[in-house]
Amino acid sequence: MNKISIPIGPQHPLLKEPLSMQIDISGEKVLGGSLRLGYVHRGIERLAEQRTYVQNVHLIERICGICSHIHTTTFCHAVERLLEIDVPQRAYYIRAMMCELERVHSHLLWLGIIAKHVGLDTIFMHTWHDRELALDIMEELSGGRVSHATNQIGGVRFDLTDHQEAMIRTTITDLSLRVNNLLDVIKNEPALQARTRGVAKVSPEMIHQYCVVGPVARASGVDVDFRRDDPLPPYDQLDFNVITHNDGDAWARTVIRAEEARESLILCERILNEMPDGPVHVRAPRRVPEGEVVIRSEAPRGELFYYLRSDGSDKPARLKIRTPTLAALSLLPKQLSSIQVADIPVVMAGIDLCIACADR
Amino acid sequence: MKINNLDALRKSMADSLKVDCEVYRGIDGDQTLRIPSAELKRVVSFLVDQMDCRHLSTITAQQRVEDPDQIEVIYHFWHGISFSIMTMVSEELPRLPEIVSILPGADFYEREVAEMFGIEFVGREETPPLLLPDDWDQGPPFIRNEDHRE
Repeated sequence: MNKISIPIGPQHPLLKEPLSMQIDISGEKVLGGSLRLGYVHRGIERLAEQRTYVQNVHLIERICGICSHIHTTTFCHAVERLLEIDVPQRAYYIRAMMCELERVHSHLLWLGIIAKHVGLDTIFMHTWHDRELALDIMEELSGGRVSHATNQIGGVRFDLTDHQEAMIRTTITDLSLRVNNLLDVIKNEPALQARTRGVAKVSPEMIHQYCVVGPVARASGVDVDFRRDDPLPPYDQLDFNVITHNDGDAWARTVIRAEEARESLILCERILNEMPDGPVHVRAPRRVPEGEVVIRSEAPRGELFYYLRSDGSDKPARLKIRTPTLAALSLLPKQLSSIQVADIPVVMAGIDLCIACADR
Repeated sequence: MKINNLDALRKSMADSLKVDCEVYRGIDGDQTLRIPSAELKRVVSFLVDQMDCRHLSTITAQQRVEDPDQIEVIYHFWHGISFSIMTMVSEELPRLPEIVSILPGADFYEREVAEMFGIEFVGREETPPLLLPDDWDQGPPFIRNEDHRE
């Protein structure tokens, strides 16, 4: 049968974000594909060189509309490392709690998307409703649902009140029940299993070859989590489980995110219990001493990498950002080959694409 | 031999590859070796095959104001510790060997460095644009022009 190339995008029904794909098919079989990024490229690395460190916290928050907090957290850690300032422990714990809430709402958002693509609109409605609870907490604390502006260089912008802590505990209890229920539904839903089991298997060898990170790697049995492997404070003091699966298929990538969301809620409660008292920020100098630093953190989609070089001024000399989606995207053309046309959305969505992150 | 013993690694590379590298201690939180650009592919092959160091986090390129005729390229690996290979290319003739044939995951990173810094990766068939528009005609955006060299 003849090969047919289908251009899809940059605007397409699969995602709300622009991505151009060229998919080669023969009948119902996909032969391969290629990608074109850059439709939301904003030149943030270059812009960062023209702004002060304080301004950059706000610029960097706008890299992504889902994992905005982990970006500023990683950037602030990098700057604080060069400044050699002692950030209060309580600030680290507040940062970590926001990171885990971000992971919960990111994973729930993704579970809704995968459910919608396999035709399970009820699960989509429930997950997106439940995700609102995580956003409610973040809004209660920071005032923002997308850009939280939690971090500042030297700590965080706000402390928790007793009323807020009580609200967080109640909401987390409610959300945990809902996530457990969701996990039950997912594991026992035959339609979801039929659409995802054995689809687009990724071997650990492929994960290593393509340098893939995060839940996609862990769903293929590669045990990597930078919260444990290269912990930023306070993760070095927190006890949590890293979830892995060995199947490597779309099913494993679905279940692992629901389980990670559950684990993150447990971790949120632990963070609240172990959060020390004290101040939440210290005053930081505007000028950063000369130096270079590499920082890795675990974003909802995996390893987030920052390289920062300071020339002693109040602006970065170079800021390099590598987001986890970019690593996962390089695997996508390989994953698309040999699947059925009807499975394209499941495979594409399975990676949990964030094009804004990848484009920067 | 562990990769965190940089001096032992450097000696091993000198013995088995005949590559002369030097330890760079400028990056906080990272073990860095500076190597000649011509030896990049052999060094990466050695790291992947002999040291099982296979996770490439990304490739950073930069032009320092104090040395604008050179482009510094850093290959950031993770192998239980943060480990990097640093090399330099001249801005006049920015060419580096590709490593995508050894690590397919380097594809996007090489393409980004190619379009942002104008570096040619020798051995690749092509480096199609990744982030910039198809009709971009203003040269590599990260290369400092004369006005910014002061």
